Amino acid sequence: MHSILLIAKREYVERVRSKVFRITTILVPLGLLVMIGAIALISKKATGLNDIVIASNSPALAATMQDQLKNGEHPPASIQVIAPATEADRARLTAEISANKVDGVLWLTLTPGAAQPTATYYTRSSSDVLAEARLESALGRAAVREQLVQKGMAANEARDLVKPIDISMLQVKHGVAVKTDATRSYFGIYALVMVLYVSVLFYGTDVARSVTEEKGTRIIEVLLSSAPADSLMMGKLLGVGAAALTQVAIWVFLTIAVSGSGLAAQIGMHGLSSLGINATELVFFLIFFLLGFFFYSALSAALGSTANSSQEVQQFAFIIVAPLVIAVFMMSYVITNPTAPLSVVMSLIPPFTPIIMYLRICSQMPPVWQLALSIALMLASIWIMVWLAARIYRIGILMYGKRPNIPEILRWLRYS
Amino acid sequence: MPPVVALDRISKSYDTKVAVRELSFAIEPGSMFGLLGPNGAGKTSSIRMMVGITMPDTGQVNLFGRAFTRDSLKRVGYLPEERGLYKKMKVMDQLLFLGQLHGFSAATASQRAKSWCDRLDILSSADKKTEELSKGMQQKIQFIATLLHDPELIIMDEPFSGLDPVNATLLQDTLIDMKKQGKAVLFSTHRMDQVEKMCDSICLVNNGEAVLAGTMREVKSRYERNRVLLHYEGSDAFLRYEGIAKAKSYPGSVEIELKHGASAQELLHLAAANAAIYKFELVEPSLEEIFIQTVGGRVDA
Repeated sequence: MHSILLIAKREYVERVRSKVFRITTILVPLGLLVMIGAIALISKKATGLNDIVIASNSPALAATMQDQLKNGEHPPASIQVIAPATEADRARLTAEISANKVDGVLWLTLTPGAAQPTATYYTRSSSDVLAEARLESALGRAAVREQLVQKGMAANEARDLVKPIDISMLQVKHGVAVKTDATRSYFGIYALVMVLYVSVLFYGTDVARSVTEEKGTRIIEVLLSSAPADSLMMGKLLGVGAAALTQVAIWVFLTIAVSGSGLAAQIGMHGLSSLGINATELVFFLIFFLLGFFFYSALSAALGSTANSSQEVQQFAFIIVAPLVIAVFMMSYVITNPTAPLSVVMSLIPPFTPIIMYLRICSQMPPVWQLALSIALMLASIWIMVWLAARIYRIGILMYGKRPNIPEILRWLRYS
Repeated sequence: MPPVVALDRISKSYDTKVAVRELSFAIEPGSMFGLLGPNGAGKTSSIRMMVGITMPDTGQVNLFGRAFTRDSLKRVGYLPEERGLYKKMKVMDQLLFLGQLHGFSAATASQRAKSWCDRLDILSSADKKTEELSKGMQQKIQFIATLLHDPELIIMDEPFSGLDPVNATLLQDTLIDMKKQGKAVLFSTHRMDQVEKMCDSICLVNNGEAVLAGTMREVKSRYERNRVLLHYEGSDAFLRYEGIAKAKSYPGSVEIELKHGASAQELLHLAAANAAIYKFELVEPSLEEIFIQTVGGRVDA
């Protein structure tokens, strides 16, 4: 036990003190925040309704339309009204659009006697479906308001009458109606899964790399003459795991701190919920991160012990990468179909569990028995993996020269 | 006092290859033991069994008079063939880690590491990373790492390879000091001159088997003093002496190997009759010659 702790401590200190650790600890969350911020900004700007002009022969209609847009969802920053407008204005405004002075011009013509106005929207972008939908919805309501006012209804009554009505969605689960999260944002989840994937991969292969290095410098022999191979391997897994956990914990903490700060509010985020993350999901994130780490790093220690150089480590890295990549590819499927048979089955297969089960938890909390089963299977397979890895490791670290093939490795399993 | 190491017919095979076959020898406290043999003879495999890295398939390793237990390893210092050090770790941290791994407290390990660094003149490098140091410096640090916990048995695999003469002598003297303090020292090497100078007993292994073993005196006495080195001026007619098996002539000197039972004194008389003799020496065979003669053409390195 003493030597396991000493070795774990050494591995931990070496990693936490390294430059790579410091740099990635700061850069990764920064990068993620920039990415999330960028996505948020882009989706906000995507409608192109930022700086628009409403030109009409009817000042009343133009004013109602302006009010409708201003009080709707995502109001444009600036709405100019030109009414009554002339053909000269049309030419001038068209020039302003091409000069980038305004984003678009909505031209409304109300023909006396006609039930509805005709509308034309001038813009630089070739097709802006979102803008069109929003303008159409606002204009429909504005036209109805105008008609109602003309028919004698009070202006504020008419305005309240055309307000959109929110429909709250309830899903019936196990006979009980619960709120669905159909409309929540998944940026945060995507980001967390990417962090899970990258850190498990990085720290997992780091174990292989450092085993190979110890083998190459023969330090492993010095260590073996003071501690048994199993202790060396366990010490390494615990030390690297603790370093990985430290880094991920710093990231989680930074995310909580930054998302609650004024900076985040400026790009439209307020607290964790705006990232689409809640505290339960963060706890499960840490649990599945650790499970994933120990599963893959034990595998990696075994593989690392059979290699002679870091180039050889590269050659088998795909064994570790492949299941993780498959899981990441299934990300959007699992989020949208969390209870589909494929999602359920995949979430119970240990190499995929960390990512797939985590996605299911974020999308729709799976039944407790499935959650418990996946964790139990994961723990059992970690136990088996560590046991197998220790046997391969014990022999692999003393073998030099040609890399062993699969039958040779199987023979090692028998005679250790 | 029981021998520090006693190997009792140990064998070890890997897959189909037999690395060590029925090897036995013992090392007494306060003595220096040379484990010799060509590359791949089984030296490292034997050493690994002595320090618990691998277990023998059959036979028994006894340390300090008892069957092997991991606990006895606290009294053993082992230096593997290559630089067994963490490249990115600072020298002092490294020594502290290895000292603690051998059961010392951090404070004791630090104090001992400092005094050793001082003794081997590398205290000024103690705060550097290992990779920044020269090969010789790294070798010194490894030496310290091996000796830090004051082991009673010191096992070194090729300890002097790649060292300059100054450092090699420094480390040789350190080992001789250890021996004088009553510790048992085992080292493996190809360098016969070092073994000849330092070792009290040897074991020569080839193809996993001991082919020659015993104290240096015993080993040498098994070989006749049948070689003559002769410096002379004048006629070389004495070279026709019938007792000569082989002769290598150089300007002014000759190396002669005598036939079994031939008399060196007779040769001296013959030579002195026609030439002036400056030097006449009856040489015992060097360990190198014994090595080559025993292992013969089977050496592949």
